[in-house]
Amino acid sequence: MADCTCTHCNLIFDESVMIKEEYNGQTLYFCCKGCQGVYHLLENEGLGSFYEKLGDTTLQPPSEQAGDLEKFDLEGFEKRYVKVHDDGLHEINLIIEGIHCSACVWLNEKVLHKLEGVIEATINYTNNKAKVIWDPEEVKLSKIIATIRSIGYNAYPYDPKLQEERAVKTRKSYYMRILVAVFGSMNIMWLAVAHYAGYFGGIEQSFKDILNVAEFILATPVLFYSGWIFFRGAYYGYKNRTVNMDTLVASGALSAYIYSIYAMVTQRGEVYFDSVTMIITFVLVGKYLEVLSKKHAVDTLDHIIGSTPTEVTTVKEGVKSLVGVDNVIIGDIIELKPGEKVVIDGRVTQGAASFDESSLTGESEPVYKEEGDEILSGSICLDSTLRYEATKDASSSLLTSIVNLLEESITKKPRIEQLANTISGYFSTVILLIALLTFAGWFYATGSFENALIIGISVIVIACPCALGLATPMASLVGISMSAKRNILFKEATFLETMAKSNLLALDKTGTITEGKPSVQTEKIFETFDFSLLYSLVSTSNHPVSKGILAYLESEHEKLESYPLEAIKTIQAKGVEASYQGKTLIGGNASFMRSRGVEVEEESDYTLFYFAIDGRLAARYELSDTIREGAAEAVALIQEMGIRVVMLTGDNPQSAQRVADAVGIGTFYAGLLPDEKAKMIDRFHQEGSVVVMAGDGINDTIALASSDIAIAMGNGADVAISVSDVVLLDESPMSLYESYRLSRRTFQAVKENLGFSLLYNLIAVPLAVAGFVNPLVAALSMSLSSLVVVGNSMRIKTLKFKKEK
Amino acid sequence: MSESIVILMIGVSTLLGALGLIALLWGIKTGQFDDHSKFIDSARFDGEDALRDAVMMEEKKKKRDEKKKKDEKAYGPPD
Repeated sequence: MADCTCTHCNLIFDESVMIKEEYNGQTLYFCCKGCQGVYHLLENEGLGSFYEKLGDTTLQPPSEQAGDLEKFDLEGFEKRYVKVHDDGLHEINLIIEGIHCSACVWLNEKVLHKLEGVIEATINYTNNKAKVIWDPEEVKLSKIIATIRSIGYNAYPYDPKLQEERAVKTRKSYYMRILVAVFGSMNIMWLAVAHYAGYFGGIEQSFKDILNVAEFILATPVLFYSGWIFFRGAYYGYKNRTVNMDTLVASGALSAYIYSIYAMVTQRGEVYFDSVTMIITFVLVGKYLEVLSKKHAVDTLDHIIGSTPTEVTTVKEGVKSLVGVDNVIIGDIIELKPGEKVVIDGRVTQGAASFDESSLTGESEPVYKEEGDEILSGSICLDSTLRYEATKDASSSLLTSIVNLLEESITKKPRIEQLANTISGYFSTVILLIALLTFAGWFYATGSFENALIIGISVIVIACPCALGLATPMASLVGISMSAKRNILFKEATFLETMAKSNLLALDKTGTITEGKPSVQTEKIFETFDFSLLYSLVSTSNHPVSKGILAYLESEHEKLESYPLEAIKTIQAKGVEASYQGKTLIGGNASFMRSRGVEVEEESDYTLFYFAIDGRLAARYELSDTIREGAAEAVALIQEMGIRVVMLTGDNPQSAQRVADAVGIGTFYAGLLPDEKAKMIDRFHQEGSVVVMAGDGINDTIALASSDIAIAMGNGADVAISVSDVVLLDESPMSLYESYRLSRRTFQAVKENLGFSLLYNLIAVPLAVAGFVNPLVAALSMSLSSLVVVGNSMRIKTLKFKKEK
Repeated sequence: MSESIVILMIGVSTLLGALGLIALLWGIKTGQFDDHSKFIDSARFDGEDALRDAVMMEEKKKKRDEKKKKDEKAYGPPD
């Protein structure tokens, strides 16, 4: 049988499973009804040229969409996402899912354009975001979404007021200001060359005037448009009664500018317009680098809140009804269906089911709950329908309190005072004072106002905030790009500095030190059997142990077949049972085996899985959560750096002890609930430690949010990733060590840079105070000092890690 | 070399540069550089089709404006 490609999505399937169709004399193949539907839809609409544009790109076959369209027309939804224009048009920002290539963008835009009532639709291919403007009188939002879905894509709204969008806007504004500044200073540069030549070789006053005026025209937009940021910063600094870099830059540039105008009008002395633009440009570039390295997290809480059901099914006197979560009172009986998320804490009154509590404890193994057991909000009901009595209302349930705690800790996140900012604050004050004193001194000594002013200004100009302004951002940027190459993402440059100062590392166990899923340690075969039988049996269950066995079998055996099993029964928290060609297959834990009359020994530190055929034991597997590769080594190396390592886990003390011993962690705290982990972090803070926390699950998020630096594993929960400051994409514990090394090296470079610029100023400023500095020297030394800082930052790239391959 | 030539040279060159800068700033401000690939694709997919599409959208907009005007008249006080 030959493979062939689906006409719509280009995915390759076996010919026998394809839907065959004759259409306009051609034979078409489709992998599913969805693809077929979309194909005909496009052909009928005259959009068949989509396939020419598509080329060989493969698409996702369209999936059946849930009927949640009504929610797009609800008032609450509209209030949140839809922007109403003055002329009555509505605007929404959507993220389109399933865009693979530019042909997809074309198709979506085309379809939206054809839709009656849509006034504007633009889709950004790079980030799959779309802006749609429509007339609410002619078309409903739900219709727009339905149209996008009908051609096999999905759209969901996002709030453009998010931090991320704002960050993009700031970046854009900085970029434009830099463009103006660069344009101005480059043009002034070549005018200045003529100026300097005239300074040394003689120049007629009339030409000097022309150059002066031209420089003035170029410098003005640079100072007031590009330099606006510094004036604003200086103003805020003034309001808060602090002197910062912005004050120095603004006052230096402004006074040089005003003096230059004075010199230009009176035709006496030299103009300093080139210095004005140079300062603004250099420091602005430094600031831009800082903005560039800031990567704001997307709105984190939206995700949790978004995935929480807003209504529950309550049962009152035998009548089921949907009730809003907020209207549930203590004592109400709530019915829970498989797959539903618990939003209200309670106690089971009828039925039994297993629950996925991974978002609370981090443990992937489902917990079996029956009558009388407590169930916690945030867990997910996995297999059967049960009823429970609400013991708390929605606002005091665990899930809500986690969300609240999270909100609180994000806004109150402790930040370590930044070295560069403190230094530049003092520095700016000192320089301004020196400049003032110089001016007063020279004025008093020589009596010449003009001369004293020049020298006063040259002190500020030569003090060169450029090198100081570039010191931190340049080093941070190199550090960040270095770590990104090693699959470590720092979301903000300042985190490098904070991390370098940290002296305590708190690790989560499951998912961080360990892989977070059980895998087979030992296999014991009692009786030879067809492994495909076991393979078929375990593939019927979603239990992590079954998945572990499945993965093991797949890696050990090559030829495995999936047999059609009959009478499959999953016994919760025990095992699976099925029959195949008259054979009874059972697989599960010891108590399950015993209940089926199979005698087993159960001496083991690990989770055990038995497999029996027709009542005879065939195999035994020992499974445990494996420790990630290199974890022990990484912990040892980090401890070598003088950092205390502790482990925080929601698991029981025994398994915590085992893992702690294996990786060499002396202190651990077991059995912690999410908020208790955060309390531990707070305790470390009170002891004066700077805490780095590494974790992966929703259960770690509060702790992550309250630590100084939060490190998340790349495939951890979305929320964990979004509250964290650093993401380890390759999830290896060695990356933890590497990020420590990198942050310390970067911080060292920052210190060197700051030291150098201070040293430079120690030499240059007295010269300027003494009046030895002419414009050429000032301009040259300014550029040179900046270059030194850039060069020194580049040295971070030579950092070598131990055991480099 | 006379002053006026120097003024002319500096003036013209700066003006031309400034025009280029303003065009660039306008492009950034209106989001023309936000989507790198679309920039190129617009050349790839250029054709009668795209033009017709643009005209269709224009007409849609116009139609709505007209309709709105009519509505406003209809709702307005009778004169």
